[in-house]
Amino acid sequence: MAYVGIISLYLACAGTILSIILGFRALKDKKEPLGILTHWASALSTLCITLSALSLVLALLTNDFNIAYVARHSARNLPLIYKISAFWAGQSGSLLLWLLIISFLSLVVQKNRKYQQNHLHIRLCIVINFVRLLFILLLLFVTPIFELLAERPFDGSGLNPMLQSLGMMIHPPVLFLGFSGFLIPFAFAVIGLWTNDTQATWLRHVGKWVLFAWLFLTMGIVTGGQWAYTELGWGGYWAWDPVENSSFFPWLTSTALLHILLLPNKHRLKRVWSYVLIVLTYTLTIFATFLTRSGVLDSVHAFAGGVLGQIFLAVLVVMAVFCFGLGWHKRQMLSMVPTESTLSNQGLSATGKTIVVGSVLLLMLFAGVLFGTMFPVITRVFTAREVVLDASFFNQLSVPLFLGTIFLMGMSPLLHKKASDIKILTKRLALPVLLALVAAVFTYLSTGHLAASVAFALAAFGFGTHLPVLLSPDSSRRWGGSLVHLGLLIIMVGITGSSIFVDDVLVSVEPGQEIVFGDYRLEYEGLTVRYGSERYTVGTTLAIVENGRCRGEITSEKTFWEGRDQPSTRVGILSTLKEDIYLNLAGWENTTAQLHLQRFALVSWIWAGSWVMYFGVLVALLGDMKLNVKGKQVKLWPRQMR
Amino acid sequence: MSRKKLKILLLSLLPLLLLGFLAFRAFENSAAYYYTISEVQANGVSEQKLRVKGQLVPDSVIYDASIPLLGFSLTDGDAHIQASYRGVLPDNFNHSEEVIIEGTLNSQGELLVSKLMLQCPSKYEGEE
Repeated sequence: MAYVGIISLYLACAGTILSIILGFRALKDKKEPLGILTHWASALSTLCITLSALSLVLALLTNDFNIAYVARHSARNLPLIYKISAFWAGQSGSLLLWLLIISFLSLVVQKNRKYQQNHLHIRLCIVINFVRLLFILLLLFVTPIFELLAERPFDGSGLNPMLQSLGMMIHPPVLFLGFSGFLIPFAFAVIGLWTNDTQATWLRHVGKWVLFAWLFLTMGIVTGGQWAYTELGWGGYWAWDPVENSSFFPWLTSTALLHILLLPNKHRLKRVWSYVLIVLTYTLTIFATFLTRSGVLDSVHAFAGGVLGQIFLAVLVVMAVFCFGLGWHKRQMLSMVPTESTLSNQGLSATGKTIVVGSVLLLMLFAGVLFGTMFPVITRVFTAREVVLDASFFNQLSVPLFLGTIFLMGMSPLLHKKASDIKILTKRLALPVLLALVAAVFTYLSTGHLAASVAFALAAFGFGTHLPVLLSPDSSRRWGGSLVHLGLLIIMVGITGSSIFVDDVLVSVEPGQEIVFGDYRLEYEGLTVRYGSERYTVGTTLAIVENGRCRGEITSEKTFWEGRDQPSTRVGILSTLKEDIYLNLAGWENTTAQLHLQRFALVSWIWAGSWVMYFGVLVALLGDMKLNVKGKQVKLWPRQMR
Repeated sequence: MSRKKLKILLLSLLPLLLLGFLAFRAFENSAAYYYTISEVQANGVSEQKLRVKGQLVPDSVIYDASIPLLGFSLTDGDAHIQASYRGVLPDNFNHSEEVIIEGTLNSQGELLVSKLMLQCPSKYEGEE
């Protein structure tokens, strides 16, 4: 298997180089057949990369421990799905997965007829193949993925128990899809400048791709949080850990980008800021990989990386210098206003101004979180003592900015059209203000918590302003965006609830004893032991009773593996709309168990809100396909404001 | 400088000032200072929060699950530091290559841990 994998990687390498050379020739000679050959070479390389990836999957499934990577990340008794997810358990596998995703994206781009004018597709091919070449070279020479062992071990060392989880199946591929999705807008932007595209046609192509990448980036972050929430020692769904923050950077910049792209094409700010944000977002995805792999910051999620971190840093620097240099070189073209328009800064509508202010807030968040994350490095370099900032720094810094952003977001539907008319504005304000007041008063009276009241009031306000948009068929163009906003508001409610209303107890209980926890009574019956192949599991199941009614059961168990001194704990979670009960079997002595019980309010709102967001993006993406309804072209997501 | 340029300059300074203010305000009580274990032993550290990185001393781990209280010592090769953590023993604790702790020193020179970070052997790469 290893040889098939290596040979196809070498072939892929040849294919990409050939495609780049042919591409440049095709641009120079302007010969059609050369352009077609460029695509064939590129497609061949995609095929070879797919083959290479398939051979790794096969090697994992057939326990081919000759290959060092398989021996290190898989084992004979590993369940089938974890054998597959062992594909991306190590760094070279992650790179191969990333490469595979880029390759499929390049196929999609090649197939698209819209990109076939002005040799755009050939240029796209060249840019994408440069990036692919980098990955292939890394896989061949820096972290050889099909490296063979001198002696074939009988069994592999298996997958770390913390990685044997559903999260491992979903989170890494989705995040990589998000990261690599930003390559396409990046390629468009660089090509736009390279070809002196004075009409900025590249701006027309990027919106959909940014939205696509943003969807998967969001999904990657949320699924990561969901995974960390169920895994002990990872600090809950969000801990402001450097690796978590590093995925948040491109999210913040791309969210700003999505909104800047809605400004009218005529506006001067749009071109410059779109270019800057696209380049920034893509370099930040590379930066995220660097932070994860380099070990410059302490993180519970850090991966071993060796030289890979340094290579990514070098690529990052070269790319940033090149792109911002190109931007500076072409600054006149970027800041040029189309001749036919006389629109200037003053001509921006109320919504446009909100977008600009909101984007500034998002970039402030980005700068603040980046500063806090890099603070250890800054102090290491410039002072005698390294200083680390903990979660409270990030919370204090970001909460006011988040609240400001959420407020603006809530305001945005109000300002849409005719907002200068006071009568209309008052009418639009009535429902949201009423909802906000009700939410604030209710929260304050029932909990007495001021910050929570403010947050819930803002959420209710935003809900009130977005609801009319979603209920009116006239504004179908804005449904997608409004749904995404609504999802974010729901997430905010979840985050507020689960970080403010928390209970935490640790109890020692004997069989038959009852625990009173909040409004609930939990009955402990004793421990159970199960034996499996090369492992045994100790667990307990508690029945949860509320007001004499059984609400369900939760199970937490610890598994001990033969030949591993690290057990793995599965926590039990009873999730309701109101709150999550979180059980960890912390330890035991004979039949007495130590139980760690936690309660987090409204956690499930975060996951529910994320689904509303995904749905909103889908509505927007599909709406962009220009549906023909009764002879009228209907678009749900406006590319630019009217 | 024209009035318009001045206006733009002032407008762009505003977010920076606001951000600086927020960061400054958030800085209090959230900074932890890095010390090596030898440094902590050599000279008494003032009361500020510190962060220490080291390897677990084998057989130094005591865990009382009923409190729960976890005691252990860390070494950087030269010096040792005693630490105690009020919390549940993490699964990968005995197995960690490197332990990072954050907290304050008490009068006996023991570190009272408020945050415990563990890094897996070869950081989630398989065991060799």
